[in-house]
Amino acid sequence: KQWYQRRVAITAGIKMSTNTPQQLFVNEPISSHAFNKDLSQVVVSNASAETHIFKKGAGGKYVLDTTLKEHLERVTSVDWAPNSNRIVTCAGDRNAYVWNLQQDTGEWQPCLVLLRINRAATYVRWSPNEDRFAVGSGARLLSVCYFDPENNWWVSKHIKKPIRSTILCVDWHPTNYLLAVGSCDFKCRVFSSALKELSDKPQTSPWMPKLSKFGTLLVEFSTNNGWVHGVKFSPSGAQLAWVSHDSSVNVVSMDNQTKVFTVLTASLPYCCLLWLSEDSFVAAGHDNCPDLFNVSRDDVKYGARLDIKKEKLSEHNMSAMARFQKLDEHGLTETGTKLHTTHVNCITDIRAAATSNGKVTRFSTSGKDGKLVIWEVNALCSAIQGLSI
Amino acid sequence: SSGINAEWPLRPGEMSKNTNSSAFRTVDVDAYDEDQYEDDAREDASGVQEVQDRAAQVKQLLNQTKCKDALKLALQNPPLGHKDTSVKQQNYETVISVLKAFRTPDIDQAVEDLSSTEVDVLMKYLYKGFTCNPDKSASFLLWHEKAVKKGGMGSIIRVMVDRKGV
Repeated sequence: KQWYQRRVAITAGIKMSTNTPQQLFVNEPISSHAFNKDLSQVVVSNASAETHIFKKGAGGKYVLDTTLKEHLERVTSVDWAPNSNRIVTCAGDRNAYVWNLQQDTGEWQPCLVLLRINRAATYVRWSPNEDRFAVGSGARLLSVCYFDPENNWWVSKHIKKPIRSTILCVDWHPTNYLLAVGSCDFKCRVFSSALKELSDKPQTSPWMPKLSKFGTLLVEFSTNNGWVHGVKFSPSGAQLAWVSHDSSVNVVSMDNQTKVFTVLTASLPYCCLLWLSEDSFVAAGHDNCPDLFNVSRDDVKYGARLDIKKEKLSEHNMSAMARFQKLDEHGLTETGTKLHTTHVNCITDIRAAATSNGKVTRFSTSGKDGKLVIWEVNALCSAIQGLSI
Repeated sequence: SSGINAEWPLRPGEMSKNTNSSAFRTVDVDAYDEDQYEDDAREDASGVQEVQDRAAQVKQLLNQTKCKDALKLALQNPPLGHKDTSVKQQNYETVISVLKAFRTPDIDQAVEDLSSTEVDVLMKYLYKGFTCNPDKSASFLLWHEKAVKKGGMGSIIRVMVDRKGV
């Protein structure tokens, strides 16, 4: 059976044929990306200290609009707060900046964030209420930052114990005062980040059965041996999933925190994940391809590989002569080095682009190949038989 | 005379006395680093007795030519990170004795019937085999091919990230 897959490439806002999507950046691995609320703009960080903002133009094509120049080292992570329309970037120069759009000039104004770390920042995410953000770093601590209007800068509070190695990923719980942290010490942890400075009024929940102050370790998960590359709460916050460098995918429910569902996959390790609904998530990483996982109350199962390319028609119509010529050229029985995925290098970031009825209908991935690809969930569903999300 | 004491602290052409002792070069500086990462306390997954019992049971099964059962048993509960290397060595030899006993056409089905955890353990022992018994690489490679078919790249990755080791 021929399985088709339509995906909207970032540079073509039009219906795609099954051609390879166009690359937005060439020779620049993308470390992270974030769209604004209406998907008209996207901020992208790459291997340099400059961060680029692309704006969707008339033809639906994204073109370079602004460059944010403030960092001195490569920018490792970016995030765009959809409602307050602020961008936060963090970099290897141990700094983070919050960028505010000046209404009069249309320019992005940077505001320094005092992280107080002595190693590179690795990951940053705005909280759901956008009043704070968390920055992970190689300093083995998490900086939770909030704005201090008195001095007009962002200050941070640290969560240090018992994190023992570089933090690779952070995710906020929908309640705005719980955090999940994945790090290189092979652990995934949930902390309380209730800030009295911001008048938080936390409530107890299965994640936090007793009201706990900022920085309290609520639960620690240790599965197998890999660095925890990505961690995400489910949309309701009732479940937590993480992907690890031992090629495993792990899910736990807040109602039964002693039972972690682990899938030891046959793939190369995943680097990031995204919940599409309460019962499914997509993980992507070193196999250059998003994979779907289905979650039920008693099980987590690998669902399907979401990137299936239609074989090139030309190969079917090849004459016998051309086939032998090709064999002769390559000296192989098949072109084994050809990649059959849209991304040709590791996918490092995956974001929800559009949701409807609590389910993600569109998501975007970016990777070390410099590509940014948008995937339509409905198209994937119809293309792959038996796919349920 | 020149007024310069040419003999203190060194005679001309003599190296500084400090370099005579190179003990400082063997100091483990990481041991003094208070932020040094230490693995969680190792627990013995399998005691000496269990490994010995398993060795005997596997031998019995092999004598009855119940190779598939022997394989499944041999791959149970390996002594990961065991402090006593002879325990690890004994379990390794148990596994290798099973691999040796298989006829080539039976390997495919045997690996197919393994659980994902068992395939991971098999993979760990295969890689140990590559290092310890390179002369038997040919047969290990055959098993490796079947194990990859079942466990994929993920099973190889899990061998590489395993900090305790078989």
